[in-house]
Amino acid sequence: MLAVSPLRNTSKDENQGEMASTFAIDTHEFPDFSDTNLLDSIDFDDLFAGINDSDVLPDLEMDPEILAEFSAGGGDQESEMKASASVEKVEENNFKKEEEDRVSSCGSGAASASASGSNFSKEEEIVSKREEPVSASLKTLAKDGDKGRSKSSTQTKNNNNNNNQGKRKMKVDWTPELHRRFVQAVEQLGVDKAVPSRILELMGIDCLTRHNIASHLQKYRSHRKHLLAREAEAASWSHRRQMYGGATVPSGGKRDMNPWIAPTMGFPPMTPPMHPPHFRPLHVWGHPSMDQSLMHMWPKPVAHSPPPSWAQPRPPHWHHQQVPNGLTPGTPCLPQPLVTTRFPAPPVPGIPSHHHAMYKVEPPGIGVPTGQSGPHPLIDFHPSIESIDAAIGDVLSKPWQPLPLGLKPPSLDSVMGELQRQGVPKIPPSCA
Amino acid sequence: MDDSSASYIHLVHHLIEECLVFNMSKEECMEALSKHANIKPVITSTVWKELEKENKEFFEAYARKNAERATVMETRERIEKMLANSTTIRDTK
Repeated sequence: MLAVSPLRNTSKDENQGEMASTFAIDTHEFPDFSDTNLLDSIDFDDLFAGINDSDVLPDLEMDPEILAEFSAGGGDQESEMKASASVEKVEENNFKKEEEDRVSSCGSGAASASASGSNFSKEEEIVSKREEPVSASLKTLAKDGDKGRSKSSTQTKNNNNNNNQGKRKMKVDWTPELHRRFVQAVEQLGVDKAVPSRILELMGIDCLTRHNIASHLQKYRSHRKHLLAREAEAASWSHRRQMYGGATVPSGGKRDMNPWIAPTMGFPPMTPPMHPPHFRPLHVWGHPSMDQSLMHMWPKPVAHSPPPSWAQPRPPHWHHQQVPNGLTPGTPCLPQPLVTTRFPAPPVPGIPSHHHAMYKVEPPGIGVPTGQSGPHPLIDFHPSIESIDAAIGDVLSKPWQPLPLGLKPPSLDSVMGELQRQGVPKIPPSCA
Repeated sequence: MDDSSASYIHLVHHLIEECLVFNMSKEECMEALSKHANIKPVITSTVWKELEKENKEFFEAYARKNAERATVMETRERIEKMLANSTTIRDTK
């Protein structure tokens, strides 16, 4: 937009005197930007000072700073010369048309200044040329403004990090406790059905945003997939071993498979619908209730009765197998109930494939009749080297993963103290 | 300094938990961690003991379970032997 009227003073001609200008702009009043840079010498602060109330610039809200910028930035000489030259004429026109002493009426002024086509065209020129520097400077300012804004927003974000205000994407520290609650919520909803907004509701932590939950959920799901894939791999691997081991009774071996798998939760051969219920133990990283039931299980390993409700998912195979066996505590099949009841116990059965992988198959001929070998998981209590190695490797490579049992961590001080006593000055030690 | 110690201890803790899942004994754990993760057995054992202190119930039950298992295994072996013996006797007759 063009403020033409005030410019009258910048010109070197004698028209100034005629103008009843309220603006007393004089070139030598201003800092000398450059001799030829007439536009620069215009102090737009004064220029627009008197027209703030009016809708002088409907399109352009120019702050004094912007104007200063504008005045500082120079157009090309030619345009400026032109501009200044034609300004006078425009001023004359404006002066003539008193209702058009508005800057914004540049356009209308141009329209109405039909006095001379040259003026009109010149006004247009002025307008267009003026607009360029204006928009350029505005853009620059806008950019600076944006930079400033982004800077401040980053700062705000940093502050928010401390204040836990979730206006922007906050970096959430997923502590085991937080994660546990998350898993609890997810499992409650069903992992496939879990929606971040619902999870957020269930968790009831206002420091979290839906976005935090969503991304964590994504990670969690991929983690689970990975675990299940490992389980599948371990299952097929163990399956093969079992098949070889159960060579004597292939059919029995087959039956072995089912019950063998049965006690293990979240096992791939199980139908997918089983997974959600299986899933429950998964969330229990140190979940108190689970731990308690865990405790209950261990003291009474021999539980022929159907396992507690939360072990429900497995009944089909398990019961099926167990009944015909007529197992009694006294039989060598003792391990079986021990084992099967134990499986629900570990809070984690769904997760680690090494759970399942660890159970090497012993030949069914152990002295247990074929039929009875069914429910026998034929568990070797000693895990195979490969599965241990795999598990350890997994932990080493992904230490951020949740702990399978969620035991209370040891007190650092006492560990360090003990180690000092043992002669281990610092950890991690440089050599094993 | 402290952070790396803390994270190391956490790592050992995590590894021990994995071993617990496998129902390994402390000695087995020490061996496995030393072999697969290059962790000094003394460290493993210290962390294990500390874990035991913090989670007494768990470890008590764990120990009981493993003891039972041991007896069960033993019983099983004995029976195996008996059966093997009986078959041979039968065969020879």
